[in-house]
Amino acid sequence: MSLELSGLVKSFRGPHGTQRAVDGVDLVIPRGEFVSMIGSSGCGKTTTLRLIAGLETPDSGSIVHEGREITHVPAARRGLRMMFQDYALFPHMTVGENVAFGLRVRAQRGRHSAAEIDRLVDEHLELVHLPGVRNRRPNELSGGQRQRVALARALVTRPDVLLFDEPLGALDAGLRRAMQFELKRLHAELGKTFIYVTHDQEEALAISDRIAVMHEGRVLQYAPPDEIYFQPTTRYVARFVGSTNLLDGELAGRDGALGAVRLRNGTVVRGLVATGLPDTKVSAMIRADRIDLVAEGPSAMLSGRVRERLFLGTHDEFQVDVDGLDVDLTVHMSRRRDASVAPGVGARVGLRWAEEDVRVLSD
Amino acid sequence: MSAEALAPIPDVRREARNAERRRLLLWLGPPAAWFAVFMLLPHLSLLYVSLGHMDYVDFVPGFSAANYVKIFTVEPYLGVTFKSFNNGLMTAVLASLIAYPLALWMAFGVSSARARALVSVLVILPWLASYMVKAYAWKTILGTQGVVNSLLVSAGVVAEPLETLMYSRFAVILTLTYIFTPFCVISIYAQLERIPPSLIEAARNLGATDLEILRRIVLPISIPGVFAGAVIVFSLAFSDFITSTLVGGPSDLMISSIMINLFGVSMDRPLASAIGFLMLALAAVLLVTMQWVEKRVQVRF
Amino acid sequence: MSAGRHSLCTGWPWTAAAMAVLGFLYAPIVVMVVLSFNTSHVLGLPMEGFTFDWYFRFLGNEDVVESIVNGTLVAVACVVVSIGFGLPAAMALDRFEFPGKAIFRRIVLLPLILPGVTTGVALLNFFVLANVPMSLWTIVTGVGTALIAVAITEIFARLQQIGRSQEEAALNLGATHFEVFLRITLPNIASAVAGAALIAFAIAFDELAATYLLTGRDVTLPMQLWSMIRREVTPEINAIASAVLAVSLVLLVAGMWLSRGAQLRGTRAA
Repeated sequence: MSLELSGLVKSFRGPHGTQRAVDGVDLVIPRGEFVSMIGSSGCGKTTTLRLIAGLETPDSGSIVHEGREITHVPAARRGLRMMFQDYALFPHMTVGENVAFGLRVRAQRGRHSAAEIDRLVDEHLELVHLPGVRNRRPNELSGGQRQRVALARALVTRPDVLLFDEPLGALDAGLRRAMQFELKRLHAELGKTFIYVTHDQEEALAISDRIAVMHEGRVLQYAPPDEIYFQPTTRYVARFVGSTNLLDGELAGRDGALGAVRLRNGTVVRGLVATGLPDTKVSAMIRADRIDLVAEGPSAMLSGRVRERLFLGTHDEFQVDVDGLDVDLTVHMSRRRDASVAPGVGARVGLRWAEEDVRVLSD
Repeated sequence: MSAEALAPIPDVRREARNAERRRLLLWLGPPAAWFAVFMLLPHLSLLYVSLGHMDYVDFVPGFSAANYVKIFTVEPYLGVTFKSFNNGLMTAVLASLIAYPLALWMAFGVSSARARALVSVLVILPWLASYMVKAYAWKTILGTQGVVNSLLVSAGVVAEPLETLMYSRFAVILTLTYIFTPFCVISIYAQLERIPPSLIEAARNLGATDLEILRRIVLPISIPGVFAGAVIVFSLAFSDFITSTLVGGPSDLMISSIMINLFGVSMDRPLASAIGFLMLALAAVLLVTMQWVEKRVQVRF
Repeated sequence: MSAGRHSLCTGWPWTAAAMAVLGFLYAPIVVMVVLSFNTSHVLGLPMEGFTFDWYFRFLGNEDVVESIVNGTLVAVACVVVSIGFGLPAAMALDRFEFPGKAIFRRIVLLPLILPGVTTGVALLNFFVLANVPMSLWTIVTGVGTALIAVAITEIFARLQQIGRSQEEAALNLGATHFEVFLRITLPNIASAVAGAALIAFAIAFDELAATYLLTGRDVTLPMQLWSMIRREVTPEINAIASAVLAVSLVLLVAGMWLSRGAQLRGTRAA
């Protein structure tokens, strides 16, 4: 049982003519999973979420929830609850009235007694660690507290699916982190499906069971976080998720899962070929933290000169001007206790990596 | 760094502050002076004169509340004040009621920003257009030879033109309502516009129907806007003399007309000033109350 | 984008109700204008024929023409007063902090929501006490004071919108305060000032409440029109009223276009 999106298309009329915000999205979201949709702004992730919630109507395609087609069911009757980016708490109601709102609407009338509503509200405020604020107004709460109220309000009607539209966007870094843990905990505790939209790839990697990377209205890759990180199927995904080097070249040969890329300077780089047949024009992808700086010589795969060196706390970042290529390679090296061992700006270095850390990608 | 090097700094700071003050004075001085002479002084003079009395054609200063007592005890002043109050109230209520659906539609029914701007202009134009011309327009419609009557007569509904349409309290309130509806639309719309779209979506997402959203989200949040518009309309309609003179009958005169007559024909400037000062005080009290209430009721998003 | 918000009141009953209210706002004006072209001497339906006669007739009326000239002079003077004092007041309100600022703001914006008749009575009283005879100038003090508030809201809104960073950058580059105002601030607010001037003119040109109390021997157009419409309803008066309306509508539209959207915010500024 699951939530299935197939062939979803949604266009908006903008200042430059009609634009397809969502352009054929297919996704199967298994019940109880924590799925994130990521991508840069305008990639269609929020529109997809709004289509699921019923806040927009798709031009074509269908949404099936637990075997029931809900594409044209009004938002009010879908039972999929959403957390809004700005929390959307009702300013003229107390926290308690906000949380109780979903239980008091006509659709729910008669299902809950007043005492039951009281109990449910208290229970859910406790669940999000916010006891004792029922009679306060939303504007008397901090950003983090409002967040929790919105969460309680969404949870109180016991939906199977919770939708999150960049819910942590307005929080500062520390609070964000804490809320990420909180969401993870709630997800494990409640066993509900979470669909989560964010532009922050680190956040998505940290909390999701599965990530859909979107670009220009399409899903480029849909996989668990480690697969997205280590085995991106396209250059866009590779670049979007984490710090990545892409070396352009031509496919020089294939042997099963292994492929060889001939770079412009003649060097041949071997690596795992991504699923699907790459074109002849391909790139070799190597994550910055998978490259070692070594002495120049036969053991090095490429060589160059250190152009820039930045101390970034957990590691040093090097920009290496590679001989014979017009790109700089980014290399991350954990800080040694003795920083003088690391090469300085202007030093000649060799670059080395393991074959299994290289992915051969096409566009 | 030595103490000598630090010494001049306080002087520099004072110098800068003085320069800032001089520039402020340059901007603030002229308007402050204008308002002192042509607003504060005149209104104070109203109070001053209202406390004196007339000796034939000469004003005698004094310190007596007799004129104020007169307004509240002697006819026609008391009755007319009451009538004006009623007319103001009716106008405020009717204009708010008529304005509300249009404001709602502007805020929640027009999706294109350009169309919304156009409708806004269509609402503001009649508000800023000549008050007198707007009142006169109703005279052409309601008059004995006006549009309504000529239609009724030619259709055979009535044999003689209806006199009650014109020169009646009905005509006064209808015309005042017409004049002040745009203001209420603007005031209510300004409040509705503040409601973030996500609030509506959240309510819908939680299972509320459109009617429930209107009743439980939009209506409560819109109240400060309705109230603010209604209060201002009340105070403006209360002090109307143009409409009541044009479309009202002799018995429909409002308090401003009485005040103007006292000033001109009757030469009882102290009594007229007392009425004027009371009108000002009423407006001021209403506005302060409105701001106080709004501060407490206004929702903060 | 936000279909959720703008789909709340979209059905035909909503649109019909909104159109009905808009119709209510325009129907009387339209009827009045239409009847100003009617050939019949008696005002009322049906239309007998189309004519511009009534317009030519009032233009031949010396009293009316003189009042138009006077009214234009007064309106121009009101514009000068409203911008001349409203611009500095807006600058002081937006760019400076000073004790009593809140009270100052309240007082200068008060005329926006104060009945014109109380302003008129207060000034009349004041002038009588001070032995100043009523003239075209006394009208300017009454109407001009109220219009200062209009100018302040328009210009203040624009000043808020442009912010201070441009001015700070210019100061930082060595410009004097006078240069900054002349070369940075003024060009930025010029269209709002022009818009405010047009709107002020349109309002001053047909303001009656304060004008009525402060008029001396010389009569402006609103007073002339008032003395005519009190007595009777004729197609000629319809023509004058329609012309007044047309002039102010054109000025208002131009003014609002220049100062873009400050009105909606401004109405609640007090």
